[in-house]
Amino acid sequence: MTEKRDVWQGTLALMVLKTLDALGPQHGYGIARRIEQISDDLLAINHGTLYPVLLKLEQEGAIAAHWAASENNRKAKFYTLTKAGRRQLDSAARDWQQTTEIIARFLAAGGEAR
Amino acid sequence: MRALRRTWNRLLGTLFGRRREAELARELEAHIQMQAEDNQRLGMAPAAARRAAVLKFGGVEAAKESCREQRGLPQLDLLLRDLRYGLRQLRRSAGLTVVVVLTLALGIGANTAVFSAMNAVLLRYLPLPEPRRLVYLNSTVQYGSQTGDGDSSLTEYLFEQLRTQRRVFADLVAFAPLGSDKVGVRYGKEPEEAFVDMVSGDFFSGLGVRSALGRQFTLEDEHSHAHLAVLSDIWWKRRLGGDPAVIGRPLYIKGVPFTIAGVAAAGFTGVEHGRVSEIWIPLQSDPYLKPWGTAAQGSESLYGSALSWWCLKTMGRLAPGVSEKQALAELGPVFQRAALAGVGELGPKQERARLYFTSARGIDGLRDDFERPLRVLAVMVGLVLAIACANVAMLLLARSAARQRELSLRMALGGSRARLFRQLFTESMLLVLGGGALGWLFGLWATRALAAWTRLSVSLAPDRSVLIFTAAVSLLTALVFGLAPWRSVVRAPIGLALQASAATAFQDRAKLRSGQLVVALQVALCLALLVGAGLLLQTLRNLEAIDLGIRTPGLLVFGLAPQQRVRSDAGAVRFYQALIARLRILPGVEAATLMQHRVGTGWSWNASARLDGAKDGHLPMRWNAVGADYFRVLGTPVLHGRDFTEADAAASPKVVIVDQVFAERYLPAVDPLGHQVAVPWAKTSPYVIVGVAANSKYTGVRDDNRKPTAYFPYEQVGGLETMNVELRTAGKPAALLPAVRRLMAGFAPELPLLQPMTQEEQFGQSFSLERVMARLSVFFALLAALLVATGLYGTLAYKVSRRTAEVGVRMALGAQRRQVLWLVLRGSLAVSLAGALIGLPLAAAGARLLRATLYGVAPGDPWSFAAALAGLALVAVAASLIPARRAASVDPMAALRCD
Repeated sequence: MTEKRDVWQGTLALMVLKTLDALGPQHGYGIARRIEQISDDLLAINHGTLYPVLLKLEQEGAIAAHWAASENNRKAKFYTLTKAGRRQLDSAARDWQQTTEIIARFLAAGGEAR
Repeated sequence: MRALRRTWNRLLGTLFGRRREAELARELEAHIQMQAEDNQRLGMAPAAARRAAVLKFGGVEAAKESCREQRGLPQLDLLLRDLRYGLRQLRRSAGLTVVVVLTLALGIGANTAVFSAMNAVLLRYLPLPEPRRLVYLNSTVQYGSQTGDGDSSLTEYLFEQLRTQRRVFADLVAFAPLGSDKVGVRYGKEPEEAFVDMVSGDFFSGLGVRSALGRQFTLEDEHSHAHLAVLSDIWWKRRLGGDPAVIGRPLYIKGVPFTIAGVAAAGFTGVEHGRVSEIWIPLQSDPYLKPWGTAAQGSESLYGSALSWWCLKTMGRLAPGVSEKQALAELGPVFQRAALAGVGELGPKQERARLYFTSARGIDGLRDDFERPLRVLAVMVGLVLAIACANVAMLLLARSAARQRELSLRMALGGSRARLFRQLFTESMLLVLGGGALGWLFGLWATRALAAWTRLSVSLAPDRSVLIFTAAVSLLTALVFGLAPWRSVVRAPIGLALQASAATAFQDRAKLRSGQLVVALQVALCLALLVGAGLLLQTLRNLEAIDLGIRTPGLLVFGLAPQQRVRSDAGAVRFYQALIARLRILPGVEAATLMQHRVGTGWSWNASARLDGAKDGHLPMRWNAVGADYFRVLGTPVLHGRDFTEADAAASPKVVIVDQVFAERYLPAVDPLGHQVAVPWAKTSPYVIVGVAANSKYTGVRDDNRKPTAYFPYEQVGGLETMNVELRTAGKPAALLPAVRRLMAGFAPELPLLQPMTQEEQFGQSFSLERVMARLSVFFALLAALLVATGLYGTLAYKVSRRTAEVGVRMALGAQRRQVLWLVLRGSLAVSLAGALIGLPLAAAGARLLRATLYGVAPGDPWSFAAALAGLALVAVAASLIPARRAASVDPMAALRCD
């Protein structure tokens, strides 16, 4: 059985941005659900930790918020990716890719050279 | 960029936090409900579904708190909270707050004003590029004839010789005023007065003054004595409305047509701060445009007697790398040769002229006049600031003791030292900021008032560095004493402070004693100020009460300079005779006469006379040339002989009237009438004494009347460039002025009235400084007394409120009202008495500092000391009586029951 993992700081923001990019406008609960689904429930997040991240992204102008009715006709706060948010997502994704590639190469390199 | 945006949003969050808070709560609630609904859909019971949702969410309050922290700026939040709390605290003791803020404001404002004036007069450099390299040139001795301000006069020839010394001077410029006061100028129709200077061609370029409009002078203009004028920016704007089209237009100066060539850069008003130059012209050779208003008929001229007439002021800019010492060494031989060029060889005993520099710092001419009074003022305001700071300190200390319990309680509840420090710091800052802002306003006003009083307005503005300095002193005081409770709370065990009730609160003996010491010192300083004010006030009263020997009320005086119109002395006599004839029949005028040199201006004309055909024996005397009826009009009795009449004309036998001092000193024990006085300007026949007049003041109120004075009929003297008309009226002299102006507009429309004023005002000017000093010192002394009173009252009222319970016990045990009253008064009066004892020697020392300013009153004047002590006693009793009475009227039952 695989252990559930904690999300480390910074990556959650990237996941939020990517989610909004993929699904369009979404409320906090929807975002949390989506993150759990994509990670096949491997990531356990306290949904509460999502909100400070959302606030920070909103203050930075990466996402915008408005109140609207949800699928079940409940009033909820919906978040939308802004233009600045898309740029932030692109650069963050690129950085992430680069980092993982470098780490992967290190792990693959083995121990022959010294 | 992103960070900036976030900070901005957080700032907004600080301000609109409450609305966001509610929104967040709704958002989180929606989240949990959606999760619960999903859980129910999966088959959970409603209660379990909700519980699972909350669990999944993981701490609603923690999330909220986390958001809250991010939303605002915590530092700013804290500051705002401190400010709000501080303001509330200050409002709670509103009276104390107002007193502290006003005290600080008065201290800061008064100091700013006086030190700004001092800075301008004594310390500030001219507003020119590289002022440190500018020097005024002076000569210790002037050979030949000299006109101008003492040592600062050089000859035109000397200037020419020195200006070629390019290794020493990068530039050397010369300048001289066209008249010793304003001269008549006319643009368009209206004649008026202005300060006009004649200057060398490189005056502006040499000093580094730029042109605001048109052009400046060139050396070519100087050599051709071009009739061009450059205007000061101030005059151009005020008089010509700042119209650029005036360039090329005519401007008449002393009746001579000039062409306006340009306007100097804004702010430039010449190189003599005390004198505001308004118009500049190149050095002139026209006999009607001699420097210092020298008579056209006289032998002196700028270029004709260039070798021996010392009349030009000069200012040099030292070449880079040349020190003043090197410059003087290098110039020495050139200077000696050129100085002697006009007189040939010196006798063995004659003093040799030596060149020396004075720095272009401060207000040149005014330095001597104002330095001492300003230093006295500076001491006075310094004392006021000290008293003010002491006051603030005591009031804050008194309040801090009352807050000890509050602070201890907060510490006990877990308030950190840093938080309490911040809190008290914020409150002190609020006080100082309030006082500083108000002090700045007061300083602005006071500086303007001071400038108006001393008539220095041009270069006087409140000085920023002075303001910052005084504010810093106040800040330091407020911080040191505002934070006092913090120090004692941090040190003292919390329990002790909390247990102590208001009635039994521990009285810190040392603190009490230091408080009393501060009060005693305040009282001492206040006594010194009161004594000073008393002495200066008596000086003013003495000056105002002086018998001038002239009946000044009802006299109007104004000057005229009609030389362009009259062209000769004979013409001038005809002009003045016709004018006086018309003035005499003007309604309201009782009598009219003329005098060449106006009395009361601070100056006198001096010459040496010979008596009864003596070949030598020069008798020094002052003299004046006056019109018919002079003594009758001025109200000076002729004791012996007769007054001048119309018959004493140019062709008539020459006559002179001398004053008592003259008669007693030079013709003792004989009848002075009939004796002959020979004077340097009349080589032919001597003047015969026809009258002896009573002594009268010539230069000003402080004239000691010890110098012999002689009066000559103006028609028999000549050189009638400028004359002053004196009118006597039964009514108010100033009310006569419009009628006089109307008459002059018909009689000689191109002539401005020069300095029209009442003769009383003219004499009043000779002690305007003393008047300013007296008023200011009275103001400062009253201010000090007020501060001491508030300080005494504040501390005593506070002490009484703390001793309410003790008083209650005493009264319950049978103490009488009188005894209680005395109990409170005793302490306060003892402190005041101690202060007075310290203050007496201090006041005596201060009075000695004033000695030179005093008139008719000794520095040790017992009346001033007695009055100051009485005033102080009054202040002390008045300030103590109110709290003492309150203590005495305490209801013992109420006092014992409270706390």
